[in-house]
Amino acid sequence: MNKVTFDRKQLAVPYFIYLVLFVVMPLLVVLYYGFTDAEGHLSCRNFAEFFTNGKTMGTLVYSLVIAVVVTAICLLLAYPVAYILAKGSYARKHAFLMVFVLPMWINFTLRITALKEILTVLEGNLAYHPFMNTVICMVYDFLPFMIMPLFNALTKLDKSMIEAGHDLGATFPQVLLKVILPLSVPGIISGVTMVFLPAMTNYVVLDMVYNSTYIMGSLIGSYFNSYDWNNGSIISAILLMLIGFFTVFTDKVILGKEEERI
Amino acid sequence: MRGHLIKTAVIFMLMSLVLSALVLNGCKRAGSDTVTLCVCNWEEYIDEGGWDEDETIELSDGTSIIGEGSLVEDFEEWYLETYGIPVKVEYSTFGTNEELYNQITIGDVYDLACPSEYMIMKMMREGMLEPYSDGFHDPKAPGNYYSYGVSPYIRNVFSRLSIDGERLDKYAAGYMWGTLGIVYNPEEVTDEEASHWNILINRDHYRRVTIKDSVRDAYFAAAAINYYDEITDEDFIRSADYHKRLAEILNRTDPDTVQAVEDILIRAKDNVYSFETDSGKADMVTGKVVANEQWSGDAVYTLDQAEEDGYELCYSAPAEGTNLWFDGWVMLKKGINRDERKRHAAEAFVNFMSMPENAVRNMYYIGYTSVISGGESPLVFDYLKYNYEAEDEEEDTIEYDNIGYFFEEDSDEANEKYTVTVPEDQGRRQLYAQYPPKSVVDRSVVMACFDDESNDRINRSWTNVRCFDLGRFFNLRR
Repeated sequence: MNKVTFDRKQLAVPYFIYLVLFVVMPLLVVLYYGFTDAEGHLSCRNFAEFFTNGKTMGTLVYSLVIAVVVTAICLLLAYPVAYILAKGSYARKHAFLMVFVLPMWINFTLRITALKEILTVLEGNLAYHPFMNTVICMVYDFLPFMIMPLFNALTKLDKSMIEAGHDLGATFPQVLLKVILPLSVPGIISGVTMVFLPAMTNYVVLDMVYNSTYIMGSLIGSYFNSYDWNNGSIISAILLMLIGFFTVFTDKVILGKEEERI
Repeated sequence: MRGHLIKTAVIFMLMSLVLSALVLNGCKRAGSDTVTLCVCNWEEYIDEGGWDEDETIELSDGTSIIGEGSLVEDFEEWYLETYGIPVKVEYSTFGTNEELYNQITIGDVYDLACPSEYMIMKMMREGMLEPYSDGFHDPKAPGNYYSYGVSPYIRNVFSRLSIDGERLDKYAAGYMWGTLGIVYNPEEVTDEEASHWNILINRDHYRRVTIKDSVRDAYFAAAAINYYDEITDEDFIRSADYHKRLAEILNRTDPDTVQAVEDILIRAKDNVYSFETDSGKADMVTGKVVANEQWSGDAVYTLDQAEEDGYELCYSAPAEGTNLWFDGWVMLKKGINRDERKRHAAEAFVNFMSMPENAVRNMYYIGYTSVISGGESPLVFDYLKYNYEAEDEEEDTIEYDNIGYFFEEDSDEANEKYTVTVPEDQGRRQLYAQYPPKSVVDRSVVMACFDDESNDRINRSWTNVRCFDLGRFFNLRR
């Protein structure tokens, strides 16, 4: 009789099944619909139309602008926080981190509903500044996703590097720019990846703060609502390609350079 | 080596078992005596029971109505008692017509569903629906509460609608109906302003009005604004075929109309507070906006809520014309699948919902207006009086005397019979929303189910309205 033993490879089986069923297969379905027309014939028309239709390009630009602004603000807000947290004494560190991550435990629609009321009091009428409100709410929503990876990267940062910088006569700004910032690039990149794509597609936030202009997510939704699976799918596929390029780009170019320098 | 393979296979099989249990969440076929009926209805669109004792509706003739259990459970009980067959209702809900349609095309199986008129027509056109049996339409046969109790007005509307030569009433039985109009705050908006669709592009209410985030509702309002001069012309209104011509105009989908509507909607987008799917009701009650485009049933809900908070909102069905909408029960071919027992249970479900006391329970619970007028039973009209009739000592009252068309044929006699004395403001509030006077239904049109080409055109134009326009932003055009 064989002894019942598991080797480590088998532990990957559940995830592998999950991956195939819920990640790979839906992706194939999306690609299939994206590159066929309504009759099921292979076609690149949807793909071409996306880039030639002024309105969809407008949506892409609008989503990109929102995503870039949101990501930039998140980064600017999160970096000092993560830095202070990472440098603080051990006991305080985790308690404070909890304070920043705690909001994530509450459903984001609830949080935004509350924020909406506050903004209404401040602004009088939310509909006057749809873009600003969208950015405020998204930043509020995504900030923890930026803090976490930055915090992790900065905690792991070797203190002796910073000390060495100081010992060699660098001022704090110099150390920050030449030592800390470059060493935390992996954290910045994973933070940006976690914020950027959701900011391009999370149309629930726009709906909730009364921004009636479509972003990529709402555009996909509107195509699906009119039973146009093909055009909806191609947009999803294009978004996927964008984020794919982005990942490859950061991996190869930025991280690659880092390695060279070290 | 073999041991490994077997173990891997076992894990794999277990996983797929768990997963298939998750995936195959369709409607199960009952193998035993019990009939399983899969019903898919709008969210919060049926009496779910659990009323408080003091919510009991006590009508003038001594009948008292209370929803203790949910109507679905009551149906199961009633069906077993009446026909001696146990039935199990698998009840699920949908959020939009498109969602329902998508669910069904993806493969969900339902026996009975409750889409809106245009979706019913779309499903009819695509051959998805099962016709009601001939016996269902006989008002004299026992148990045919729908056929017996449905309002003559609704019966008439149903019989006039057809698609591809098939009459709508062959495939659908009504459930709730109403108009499309404007809920407004009378302190901020005048009655005159609210009685025209162009309030949506009225600069005096910049960023204080909401419009529905639905292609069809927005399109209808914009088309009415576009053809304002034509459809409010005195001669046009007096013409013999006024209603027919109005329906034709407000259902136009030619490229010029679509373009004109698009331009109006772009103006509306710059002017309104938001395109809303569900937030309009709350925003109206909290005072964030002063007017919003709304279906009559939701309007009643909004008005009730505002009343609880201590202030008054009104409802208007604009003068240019309003969209007459209704939701109806349809049987799905795939679900019924020639199973006579299922068909019987499905028809009985519709009939059960059409019993006057159950129609009243639904109306109380969800605020929409049932298509049931009750035939000889006075229950529905009594419920109307119970809700709206003025107290004896009340001073400012009006005679609300133009709803005979709903309960009987439209005649002076019927109007007199169904006259009710109500507080003055009900002439433009809940009662007006629930049971619009004849003048409103005269200018109401059903919005047709457009053909694919028109739908394409309209959807594309809708995307244009909603997308960020680079050219316009950088002032390259217009």
